Amino acid sequence: MTVTNPSPSLISTLPGEHYTDPEIFRMEQERIFEAMWFCVARASDLAGPGSFQTRQVGRESVLISRARDGSVKAFLNICRHRGAKLCTQESGEVKRAFQCPYHAWTYGLDGKLVAAPNLTSMPDVDRTEYGLIKVHVREWLGYVWVCLADDPPSFDDEVRGAVAQRLGSAEAIDNYGIDGLEVGRRITYDVKANWKLIIENFMECYHCATIHPELTEVLPEFADGFAAQYYVGHGAEFGEDVAGFTLGGAEGLDRIPGVGEEQDRRYYAITVRPQVFVNLVPDHVIFHRMFPVAADRTVVECDWLYLPHVTASGKDLDHSVELFHRVNQQDFDACERTQPAMSSRAYAQGGVLVPSEHHIGEFHTWLQKRLTA
Amino acid sequence: MIPVCRLADLPRGEASRFEGDPPIAVFHTEDGEVYAIDDTCTHQDASLSDGWLEGCEVECPLHASKFDLRTGKPDGPPARRPVRTHEVVVEDGMVCVRLSEAVPSVPACAARRLAVEGAV
Repeated sequence: MTVTNPSPSLISTLPGEHYTDPEIFRMEQERIFEAMWFCVARASDLAGPGSFQTRQVGRESVLISRARDGSVKAFLNICRHRGAKLCTQESGEVKRAFQCPYHAWTYGLDGKLVAAPNLTSMPDVDRTEYGLIKVHVREWLGYVWVCLADDPPSFDDEVRGAVAQRLGSAEAIDNYGIDGLEVGRRITYDVKANWKLIIENFMECYHCATIHPELTEVLPEFADGFAAQYYVGHGAEFGEDVAGFTLGGAEGLDRIPGVGEEQDRRYYAITVRPQVFVNLVPDHVIFHRMFPVAADRTVVECDWLYLPHVTASGKDLDHSVELFHRVNQQDFDACERTQPAMSSRAYAQGGVLVPSEHHIGEFHTWLQKRLTA
Repeated sequence: MIPVCRLADLPRGEASRFEGDPPIAVFHTEDGEVYAIDDTCTHQDASLSDGWLEGCEVECPLHASKFDLRTGKPDGPPARRPVRTHEVVVEDGMVCVRLSEAVPSVPACAARRLAVEGAV
């Protein structure tokens, strides 16, 4: 797979087919999205017992809900009887139970089979064994993470570890108190591009000076092309005359109290493989969740999180949100421009990475390892 | 009177099913009252003791008709016919039921099953 380039400054990307081939996408679904921890929902979106969401994780539909005891549960969204999709809505609330719309098999919020037509005349049917199939769940940073693997990888190593590795310590993220922040704005982007193009784009800043004029104005060092993700523990510093992480650099909102002096006036970016980006600035957190739908389509949900009293005050968040909303649009436009070219013969062998992008090569090595393992 | 269970074994808000012909459901309401009705919904073969007890009503777990535990009457479709109610007496901590002599209303499929079992 490794191709030696005649120019040592350049290393190879993946060949174009990795971004277009449905078979490779299917393998990624199986070996990456259905095997790793996958961030599905903001925990506060599941307000009370019976609130639910359904999300596609890899090839499976997953039902995420809040049980009566307040805990979050996740199940494969499939009736155990004849396999009908149990919940057809993307989100909603049930009073007491999930009922299959086909034969009315009825499951409690804990997944147990509570009723079915003629069930009492089948006393040999174990209601737990024929309950919904459980999926592993963790809550962290105020988000619900699921893992479809029977034997999930260590959450501490893979998820917390990725954050700690990027920030240089496991505690640095705690300063932002992300689980206590509230969603001030959510924007969903339907991106006609392969999920890896979005990750690769997020990992490098070689493009920043060209496509992100507003971001580069706030973070002048981004014009040099070295992303915050190039160095461990590095946060890009705000420009001297920049008051806050807003469009035009005007003052932002109330600073999160736990943010340390060394973290103030800096922007940190973290990729948690395979589908989460976390962006930290002193007064808010921007949290991306990607939902890969097809080889050439990815839905990205982006939350802007603020202190609860900021969202409750009704303060205008537009200037704060607009900066990264523009960055998102600029990035996703670039990814969409790139996607059709992935099937061009010009890209059959792939392209190249310049030195400030060489860390993306490590992402490709990781991918290859997962797909061939 | 048939003794069915100890009251202490049936916490408030809970129900218990007792096999019989037809089976009986006994409910202990949050207010501390004890009621007995036929356990099978009159619409489709579902166990009302698996349903949801709220006040003096139980909601069928399958199609949400609510039966009044005092009268046996459903609040609305899909169930149309009432379930039988049975007299309950609690004596020395024991719940006892006097079965109604009325003809039970059971859904068609359960009736067929009972008829077959009866014939064996």
